[in-house]
Amino acid sequence: MERSISYPLYALAFVLSVLVFSIGVYVGYLIDQSNQASISKEVEDISRKVESTQLLMLLEDNSSSFCPLYKSQLDSINEEVENIGYRLSYLEEEKNVYDIPLKKNYFVLEAQSYLLSKKIKERCGDKSVLLIYFYSNANCTSCKDQGDEILRVRDELQDRGIVVKIFSFDGDLGSPVADALKTQFSVSKYPSIIVDGKLYPGTMSRDTLQSVLSGS
Amino acid sequence: MDVIDLLNYSIAFLSLFTVIFFILLLIRYRREVNKVPARTNWNPVVSVIIPAFNEEEGIAQTINSVLYLDYPREKLDIILVDDGSSDRTFEIAKGYENDGVRVFTKKNGGKGAALNFGIARAKGDLIATMDADSALMPNALNELLPLFDEEVMAVTPAVKVKPENKLIVELQRIEYLMILFSRKLLSFIDSVPVTPGPFSIFRAEVFRKVGGFDEKNLVEDQEICLRIQAANYRVRSSMTGIVLTQVPDNLPDLLKQRIRWQRGGLRNYWKYRFLIKPEYGDFGMYFVPLNFLSIIAFFLILGLMIHAVVASPYYSRYIIVDSIILGMGLVTIIGTLVVLSTLLWVYLAVVAFKEKVSIKNLLLFMLFYWYLMVGYNVMTAVKEIRREPATW
Repeated sequence: MERSISYPLYALAFVLSVLVFSIGVYVGYLIDQSNQASISKEVEDISRKVESTQLLMLLEDNSSSFCPLYKSQLDSINEEVENIGYRLSYLEEEKNVYDIPLKKNYFVLEAQSYLLSKKIKERCGDKSVLLIYFYSNANCTSCKDQGDEILRVRDELQDRGIVVKIFSFDGDLGSPVADALKTQFSVSKYPSIIVDGKLYPGTMSRDTLQSVLSGS
Repeated sequence: MDVIDLLNYSIAFLSLFTVIFFILLLIRYRREVNKVPARTNWNPVVSVIIPAFNEEEGIAQTINSVLYLDYPREKLDIILVDDGSSDRTFEIAKGYENDGVRVFTKKNGGKGAALNFGIARAKGDLIATMDADSALMPNALNELLPLFDEEVMAVTPAVKVKPENKLIVELQRIEYLMILFSRKLLSFIDSVPVTPGPFSIFRAEVFRKVGGFDEKNLVEDQEICLRIQAANYRVRSSMTGIVLTQVPDNLPDLLKQRIRWQRGGLRNYWKYRFLIKPEYGDFGMYFVPLNFLSIIAFFLILGLMIHAVVASPYYSRYIIVDSIILGMGLVTIIGTLVVLSTLLWVYLAVVAFKEKVSIKNLLLFMLFYWYLMVGYNVMTAVKEIRREPATW
């Protein structure tokens, strides 16, 4: 028998595939945009929450009677801020979606919640450990692993009743607030970790991290 | 874009293309799919060769189904080849000699050898090969014979599963309908890849032209069909000439069967890789390469899935639900489309055969099929890497 190749079918299948594929790319792009928009909105909402707590602290004098309220506010703020951070990292790492203005806004929010945590710690005698983590997506190969390690140690310590609050900043993104913190703590390399105001430059092993954070 | 992205996108595109191609094939040949060729007065002598090895349970039903065929009795040449059974297969078959069944026994040598033994003794213009655990519907020959025209060397029937009240059998019943439907469509582009063992009819001359069954082959019914395709003879496929076949009713047996099919299939396609040439038309330029590509794609998908789990950063445990929403994009959209199209395809197959399948089983089938594929493909890879001898 004479064989033939069904060129028209393949051509049509190819054109339709390209079409569906392009629609897929476009819909994927729209989904990413909507995800970014919703994260962006959350950043604003939490920002307002932080500001209102700060305002409350300014309005009332230095008493500690409001501490339970501050603490509960702060816990929910920290939890939400952390969650947003993970989501932003996921978008960057898994989907290659980089939204630098959003990231900068997020760093402002982180700095705000860091300051709030610090104030509440001072005023209310909160025992939680404040950790600032400086990394760089552009110029640091070990930063991702170090980030994972910090989280692991944080979770382990949590089981022992030690609360560690993490605030992480990409120091090479040109964020004014991250740059200010870098200058304040004299950060010159990545990764760098600041625990309750003390700088630990370079990669930290799990054991060192554990002993530094648990104060032992 | 990194390597992982590139792989994801390539697989998504290839899957999409395949799905769209099959849908276009269906649209193009929608009128022919269910068209039953008019019956003819052509009643050639048909030799039905039934090789049997330890089939005492089913052999009587198999022979009876041939005897009850709606076909002139004197035009049927039924040959039973007992392949050295250790049970009562030969004895039971002997009981049919009075009905004109020619019964032979030989030293065990495998199915291919038993088929060749029968072919050497066949008198028919057409030779049908039949598994000893299958049963023909009475009108099967009348449905199948009209598909033979001058260029057609073999005709494949609608191989359906003997119903059993077991989920694993029910799921294979769905699978067989899907395969049948796809094979019918492939026949329009001369790309039928197998003349199924349960029942297939060949012109007697094809064995003289291309040789008999490969006695060492793990899936000899596929090898003979590839050889027929390589000789550029046409193979047609029927939706209405029905043979019912017994399928494994437990997972270990099913896995064993599929590993044999997969190992044999891989060897056969490798042997016939020379068909990847424009002169072999759609078969050479699409179907044969597709077999290789789908194996590669399968392992890539499996690898990517494992990679996604293993390489997922520590923080991802805190955003499991969020990551489903954030992760939505091109690959998940195409993946969902492909899965839905496959589901639609299975449904269309079920409808085309006027059969009934519950939605639950249809969905279970999709899940089951993926895990079955993981099972037999991984086992095949392990066995091939360890160079385990391939046996029936």
